Amino acid sequence: MATSAEAPQRPEPVELPKRGKRAKRSPIARRQARTAYVFLAPALVFFAIFFYYPIADILNTSMLTGQRADEFAGLDNYTNAFEDPQARNAFKVTLQFAVATTVGAIVLGMGLAVLINQKLRGSLAFKLALLVPYLTSIAVVGLMWRNILDPELGILNRILSDLGLPTQEWLNTHPVATIVAVTLWMTTGYTMILFLAGLQGIPDVYYEAAKVDGASRWQQFRRITVPLLTPTTLFVSVMAVITGLQAFGQAYIITRGGPGEASDLFVFHIFELAFRSRNFGYASALSVLLLLVIVAFTLVQLRIGRKREVQY
Amino acid sequence: MTAGTSKAIAYVLLTIASLITIVPLLYTVSLSLQTEKEMLSAESVLWPESPQWGNYSTLFEEAPFGSFILNSLIVAGAIALSHLIFDPLVGYVFAKFEFPFKNTLFVAILATLMIPLFVRMIPLYVMMSDLGWLDSYQGLIVPFLMDGFGIFLMRQFIQPIPDDLIHAARVDGAGEFTIYWRIILPQCKPALAVLGLFTFVFQWNEFLWPLVVTTSERMRTIPVGLTQFSQEQFQLWHLTAAGSVIMFVPTALLLIFSQRYFVRGITLTGLK
Repeated sequence: MATSAEAPQRPEPVELPKRGKRAKRSPIARRQARTAYVFLAPALVFFAIFFYYPIADILNTSMLTGQRADEFAGLDNYTNAFEDPQARNAFKVTLQFAVATTVGAIVLGMGLAVLINQKLRGSLAFKLALLVPYLTSIAVVGLMWRNILDPELGILNRILSDLGLPTQEWLNTHPVATIVAVTLWMTTGYTMILFLAGLQGIPDVYYEAAKVDGASRWQQFRRITVPLLTPTTLFVSVMAVITGLQAFGQAYIITRGGPGEASDLFVFHIFELAFRSRNFGYASALSVLLLLVIVAFTLVQLRIGRKREVQY
Repeated sequence: MTAGTSKAIAYVLLTIASLITIVPLLYTVSLSLQTEKEMLSAESVLWPESPQWGNYSTLFEEAPFGSFILNSLIVAGAIALSHLIFDPLVGYVFAKFEFPFKNTLFVAILATLMIPLFVRMIPLYVMMSDLGWLDSYQGLIVPFLMDGFGIFLMRQFIQPIPDDLIHAARVDGAGEFTIYWRIILPQCKPALAVLGLFTFVFQWNEFLWPLVVTTSERMRTIPVGLTQFSQEQFQLWHLTAAGSVIMFVPTALLLIFSQRYFVRGITLTGLK
């Protein structure tokens, strides 16, 4: 982007007519539009087929039933979903998971960002170390923690028993809390980077003024940092809720949704219904419902965010 | 509290946090080099007595790991290449052209960022099945050839390039594609590097779609192949760990070769 600064400021050689409402287009404008559409054509076809058609298709499939999804069922799949104890359980578990990962992401991400923002030497090394898990596949992360937390073979329990402490079966006793912790282990570095970008947008003068007024570090954090980070916090919380509600690998790889259905994340539930039970119609209806929940959450968060927006 | 003590506290806490992220990964490396006996022993083995490099070759005998790697390279490579071809071209059109329905189309493309994979998963599976593309490279690759984010990123990057450059080239009689190829693309090199690397790594790591669309062992990508392997052979944890280390190589290369760049890159592209 460095080039823009050096470009000579000359009047434009060919002044393009501004878009008039249905006015006659000049030959140049018409040629430009034609070029634009030629360049765009592959993308438009792609997004129509692989993003918009699937939405239409899933709405259609969600009203079908039967092994081959060929009988019309109207809204039965939707009404059934509300009474299905398994679907309700999966929803409850997923909501807990999403809320916990979101709160954790904000607290840990903001905390680490504030720590690292003090112009420390070696801060790049800390950033990279904290970011590594985010760029690791959920497959590697999931398998690694399943092994580390294993009641007998896991290194954590072997260390505990070496120390004469009782061993723990975290994945059986606290499955949701455990996958929340693993998820935070994986994503906190990324959240931290987002908060760091937000922190760097807060002008130093506020802190200097606060220091002159004798504000403690905690007061500065509470009265300057937190309110001025609101846009970042909002962005992080929207992102974290969205990703939390559609988490899949944690259940598929680490807990298999168990014990029982204690960690039956919603997308894992949908996956099992579609590809194990071959119940495409019902699985489609549940997908649509989850999408609606995600959209609703996003809208509510954005609305809360707008009310809380602060300007100094 | 002086600035000195608060920095000291920050160092301590950040060191603890970094150890929490790094130590489990190092332990995975250790596990990949342990003997079966060390791995199964009741006592904790933090580092093997003599590293068993042979575990890595055993892994290739126990599972078609070579195919997994090749499949992952082909799929992530093809998708990254496609993004490098289409994202800047489409981004350029939205940055520099005026045409009817421009805003509508741009919003329509950006809106696809709100369509999560789980919503596309079942329809795409049925589509792939109708096309006969289940368990094939086309099935793994084609649904991910472009996405709204790469296009948005490239549009933002191209917008500040001065229009004068484009107009001057037009006056000189350059064709539209030549302008894109000779003038716009060369200016995008840093953005293209970020786009290509991150697309590759995220696709290399992708788990859900390859799990859905592959049915035979030989078409699996590494994340899926490794997960299935560990579920079938759950007593062979040291080999699963060896597979995890192999899987981690592209991320490590990305970290080593980009560093400072990399933190900026992730701020830009981290949205999966």
